[in-house]
Amino acid sequence: MKLYVAGLLLSGLCIFSNCSTKEKGTASAESYRVESITMPEGLTAETGGLDFLPDGRLVACFLRGEVMIYDPKTKQWSLFAQGLHDPLGILAISASEMLVMQRPELTRIKDTDGDGQADLYETVTDDFGVTGNYHEFNYGPVRDKEGNLFIALNSASGGGGVRPEVRGRLDTTGRSAGKEMFSVVPYRGWIMKLTPGGKLLPYAMGFRSPNGLGFDQQGNLLATDNQGDWVGTSKLYHVQEGNFYGHPGSLIWRKGWNKGNPFNLSVQALDSMRTEAAVLFPQDIIANSPTQPLCDTTNGKFGPFKGQLFVGEMNSGRIVRVMLERVAGELQGACIPFIDGKGLKKGNNRLAFAPDGSLWTGHAAYGWGGDNGIQRIVFTGKQPADIYSMHLTAQGFDLTFTQPLDDASALNPDHYKFQRYYYEYHKKYGSARMDERMIPVTDIKISGDHRKVSLALDSLQSGYVYQLNVGSIKTLSGDSLENKIICYTVKNLISPDLK
Amino acid sequence: MQTRLLLTVFIFLFVIQAKAHPTKDTITTITINAVGGLQYDVTRFKVKPGAKVRIIFTNKDDMSHNLVITKPGARLEVVNAALSLGNDGQKINYIPHVPAVLWSLPILGPGETKTVSFIAPGAAGIYPYVCTYPGHGVVMYGAMYVTNGEMPAIKDDPNIPPNKKTDAGEDDSAHHDHMTPKIAHAYQEEPPYVCRIFIPDASPAAIAVRLPHELSYCWDAGTCHLRYAWQGGFLDNADIWKGHHDAYGVILGTVFFYDKTDYPLQVDKPGNIPVVAFKGYQLLKRYPEFHYTINGIDVYELIKPKEDGMGLIRTFRIPKTDRTIWFVADPGDGVSYQSSGGKWINGKLKILPGEAGRFTITMTKNKP
Repeated sequence: MKLYVAGLLLSGLCIFSNCSTKEKGTASAESYRVESITMPEGLTAETGGLDFLPDGRLVACFLRGEVMIYDPKTKQWSLFAQGLHDPLGILAISASEMLVMQRPELTRIKDTDGDGQADLYETVTDDFGVTGNYHEFNYGPVRDKEGNLFIALNSASGGGGVRPEVRGRLDTTGRSAGKEMFSVVPYRGWIMKLTPGGKLLPYAMGFRSPNGLGFDQQGNLLATDNQGDWVGTSKLYHVQEGNFYGHPGSLIWRKGWNKGNPFNLSVQALDSMRTEAAVLFPQDIIANSPTQPLCDTTNGKFGPFKGQLFVGEMNSGRIVRVMLERVAGELQGACIPFIDGKGLKKGNNRLAFAPDGSLWTGHAAYGWGGDNGIQRIVFTGKQPADIYSMHLTAQGFDLTFTQPLDDASALNPDHYKFQRYYYEYHKKYGSARMDERMIPVTDIKISGDHRKVSLALDSLQSGYVYQLNVGSIKTLSGDSLENKIICYTVKNLISPDLK
Repeated sequence: MQTRLLLTVFIFLFVIQAKAHPTKDTITTITINAVGGLQYDVTRFKVKPGAKVRIIFTNKDDMSHNLVITKPGARLEVVNAALSLGNDGQKINYIPHVPAVLWSLPILGPGETKTVSFIAPGAAGIYPYVCTYPGHGVVMYGAMYVTNGEMPAIKDDPNIPPNKKTDAGEDDSAHHDHMTPKIAHAYQEEPPYVCRIFIPDASPAAIAVRLPHELSYCWDAGTCHLRYAWQGGFLDNADIWKGHHDAYGVILGTVFFYDKTDYPLQVDKPGNIPVVAFKGYQLLKRYPEFHYTINGIDVYELIKPKEDGMGLIRTFRIPKTDRTIWFVADPGDGVSYQSSGGKWINGKLKILPGEAGRFTITMTKNKP
């Protein structure tokens, strides 16, 4: 086994600010600080997956095929496995056994002789098609409480082709005449369920580029999707068996499908089959390329957002926070930036919580606008000044804050600017914000503990994103809010009889 | 459609006219495509000061892109101005209203084409062009040289993306014309080792393996058999590692064996093509031993170099079978065969159940 000690290398070579282990601009007054992990020399650290072993070490896989283990105590890297094909997900079973999602298979890698390196690579499932199109990435696995695994299969890119020899049954009837993404082998554009017995079952369809699977605290399966054709803006879906989430290509693999090329169906027909997202991430406002959703299970070690979700963002140095609630039986909710900049790099592709409660983020670019490497975000113990949650009410929204507010600034109507809009469902790449309109706030109340502000709006309609820009609201201790834009997706309204 | 036709005719006439009067009304037409991997396929071109220029811009990628020509040295300023548009960027195609923007083509969706015409500045200089779609401008750009002279050597040109200075792509990756790629991993790669990547003439689930003696082979997990073998360098993965476009690892050697059978292992009698399934591999002193099934029968296959480096030795283990196994080969596949057991009948090796527990097939390169 080879060990890599890289700390020495930096002193002479560091020319970029992000080389240092502690980023600049992280004064002690901050609630979170970002640290960069020194990567092994020579590694192209395009991070495809992150997880923590039961012994507290980090395991990471990288797109050129390596699986490496990092010991945060000794800051040393060791090679566990290599030669994998674009691994984009890893699930640690033990210090000697992991599941890795690579292009051709979901593979169990094991160190059976105790030398610290995998020597057994077992196929867990390869029961899905591959055409060689560059965009047929595979994501996951994530495991539910019953022991089922879920993986996601990206659609193929209209900018790429299909190789002369494919794996799986080739059916080109589902290919668009245009540049849309497509699915010509099973089950591209699907999320699949692997039972504990090893059977791979098609689970839900209609995904374009679902680079992120996870569960919320209640165990609901979630997946992100990326803005593009048929995806007006990036989204977070609550994934349920049998549902279609909007990208047409995958429909040809639906059991009993008899409607021919799904791209030839009318938008209305497709829309009527579609399940809308729980949360929309408005493009250029919240996220342009969201990745993995990860539930805060740290029980306060990472700050006040227990049970909420963090979602990586590829296009900027940002991690997004998501809060969900059930309205009329369905999940919906709001998204808000969690951390912006502060030394955080772009390309936040994978997230994992360390046993100490720090949030690790693995970066990737892979030809897109991201970055490489691994960083960690540490809660300093200082309570952030932020919107803790946003709930829909019959009249508008309740905002709960992480700290008590100064009443005068919290009750100032100029400090709440709502606009609402929707995104068109169409084959065009992305959508403008449609029917955009400012919505006046008609009433503001604050709770006795100064933490909750209840806002009444002039009107509320389902099917719209409600974007709130807050002004200079102060906490009782005089802090300004960290993040001032929050977007709530009103999939359903509170039903009138519950008023 | 009609407008486009008219435009084409117009361009045609214009070009004819330009040819007829080379000193007057000459138009320089530049075709630039946005292609996969956040890049323009043309990253620099040259026009004369005051020349009439037409840029035909086509988006051949699967994402949205624009093209903005800026004043000299103003690329990042314009990129940052576009980023700061935030909320309102999309409506104005991420083209900021700043004086540093000279000409622009709006956001094009995949497959779209648009043209811009302008008179090149009278002042010689290097005018950047860039995609200001958020996140793209850092890597997706090029340079318009307005000059009566020559452009600098491409490898020394600081005005184009670093990875476009050679044909081979990333600086840290191999050049196509080099036999030994530069370091690409955080560890020393001593043969044997496995590399799973898209390679030609196999399914997308193929496995490339590097062996000592500069031998390499492609064993296909999609079809469960040895597809081909080569000698020389291993693979140049520079193109595929750029990401974001269809690509293959390039074979850096000479292929000496190419399987031409329908499937090399057959059950009971020749011609029975089995149903196969890939179960994985274990590393034995770092050599992969593949595990797969043929008609449900477990097969293990380990491939090593011949001691003299002149071919491969394939060791098969079929531990539990009561069936006769046939190993078939095509005489034109580039190698000659020897086996540790079984009986050759008309070029096919018959292996009885008692012999199948372990047997080797030695494949020796034919003399050229």
